[in-house]
Amino acid sequence: MLICGMSYNTPMNHELRHYIELLTSMTHKELTARYKHTVFGFLWIFINPLLQMIVIGFIFPFFIKEAIPHYYLYLFIGLLTWNFFSLSLSKSCASIVNERSLIKKAAFPRSVIPISIIFSNLTNYLIAFGLFLIPILLVNTLTIYSVFSFFGGLIMLVTFIIGISLLTSALNVRFRDINFFVQAMLIIWFYATPIIYSLSQIPDRLSWIWRLNPLTSILQLMQHALIGSALPDITMLTSNSLIIAAITIFGILIFREESKNFDDWL
Amino acid sequence: MKQPAAIAIQLTDIRKKYQIHHEKPTLVEKFIKDHNETFWALKKLTLTVHKGEKIGIIGRNGSGKTTLLKIMAGITAPTSGRVQTYGRVVSLIDLEAGFHADLTGYQNIYLNGMLLGMSRREIEAKIKDIIAFADLKQFIDAPLFTYSSGMALRLGFAVAVHAEPDILLLDENLSAGDANFRIKARRKLQEFFREEKTIIVVTHYLDFIAETCDRIIHIKNGAVVRDGGLEILSQYDPDWKRPQKK
Repeated sequence: MLICGMSYNTPMNHELRHYIELLTSMTHKELTARYKHTVFGFLWIFINPLLQMIVIGFIFPFFIKEAIPHYYLYLFIGLLTWNFFSLSLSKSCASIVNERSLIKKAAFPRSVIPISIIFSNLTNYLIAFGLFLIPILLVNTLTIYSVFSFFGGLIMLVTFIIGISLLTSALNVRFRDINFFVQAMLIIWFYATPIIYSLSQIPDRLSWIWRLNPLTSILQLMQHALIGSALPDITMLTSNSLIIAAITIFGILIFREESKNFDDWL
Repeated sequence: MKQPAAIAIQLTDIRKKYQIHHEKPTLVEKFIKDHNETFWALKKLTLTVHKGEKIGIIGRNGSGKTTLLKIMAGITAPTSGRVQTYGRVVSLIDLEAGFHADLTGYQNIYLNGMLLGMSRREIEAKIKDIIAFADLKQFIDAPLFTYSSGMALRLGFAVAVHAEPDILLLDENLSAGDANFRIKARRKLQEFFREEKTIIVVTHYLDFIAETCDRIIHIKNGAVVRDGGLEILSQYDPDWKRPQKK
């Protein structure tokens, strides 16, 4: 994916290699710079959902009739995934504006700025999941098919985050309201996603809301992979996938167009 | 085997429109009162730069010089027209920009070099030269926030000149660091001027242009008004006298 490449008279694979090198280097920068001067460093990725899990896991069961199996683990999968999503989106949305000094300096492909933020969060997410496998192995819910379900969900998730981040970060350069809008939406979005509840607790007549929310299938796939809860039904999976594809294509197109003139608005 | 007429930059019918925003526009402003205050910074500008030319661009404030430089650097795109550049363009504008305060000088060289278009292998091959040129000594392993502004500037200059630019864009105020470093920077630039590199300088400092450039382009209201040799300098500013060669 080459967005806003300069027209050098060099072969395509050279440009692609440079893009990958630059992205790797920017991702590395994000990872090293984020937790500098902190004592717990990377562990914060783990501590946040852990605290949320303990609080929600204690309070929420008072309000639901049918209990979700392995509820603490269920919560943790959702919270970890949600934090990856919301952290990536809220940070990359403002990223072009925040990195204006880079934009004004040189003509590199602009998309490395938001995508490097996403990849650094992805790295943390995967490491945190690696640690999380220990309690999962204890409850013995993993099967061979977990791998497919997990990576299917992961591919959908990363695609969606890249698409929506490109879209919002590009628009935020001209319309700074976008950033505030995204922050506000994230609060609502959390409750519109099956993180602390499961979709089976939602009345059928309202299920269209979750069909519009791509995170529904993604979370169901993750939850299925790790603790064997229900898979998303085919309607849900199809409509969620189509929305992800549409937003991602739209995001790439908007970013490609807007990135030519980022400098004019910064 | 150099071809004397090879083109380095070809600009065709470049126009650049800016929207004048007194404040950052909001969504509401955009849709409710669609105010179209625009300003054409460049108007149908066509320019051919050949390989190895040393060009000085002159013009009053607001004539479009900086916009032209940004378009040649690929930092912004023209509203209409065609930009073709052949070779690596490096601008010495905003040298201290693009460093990350929490990363070490060493890590920042990699990051900055890649942003300028260098590959990892190229940087690895040149990192010793870059560190030596920037003269940072033990600070190379310290995070950038511990650097003085002069040190950051030196590092920025060192990375940019080691990026092996085919086309070099210079802005005025190229006063990097202390007297010692200025001499070193000047020597490095003179080296570039002697080589076959294409150099484009934007400045109000006519003496510098007279000393270094062989082609002068005078820009006024976003268009080329004069294009030629050093005689343009005295037409541009009748009070200006060509300095005597030492």
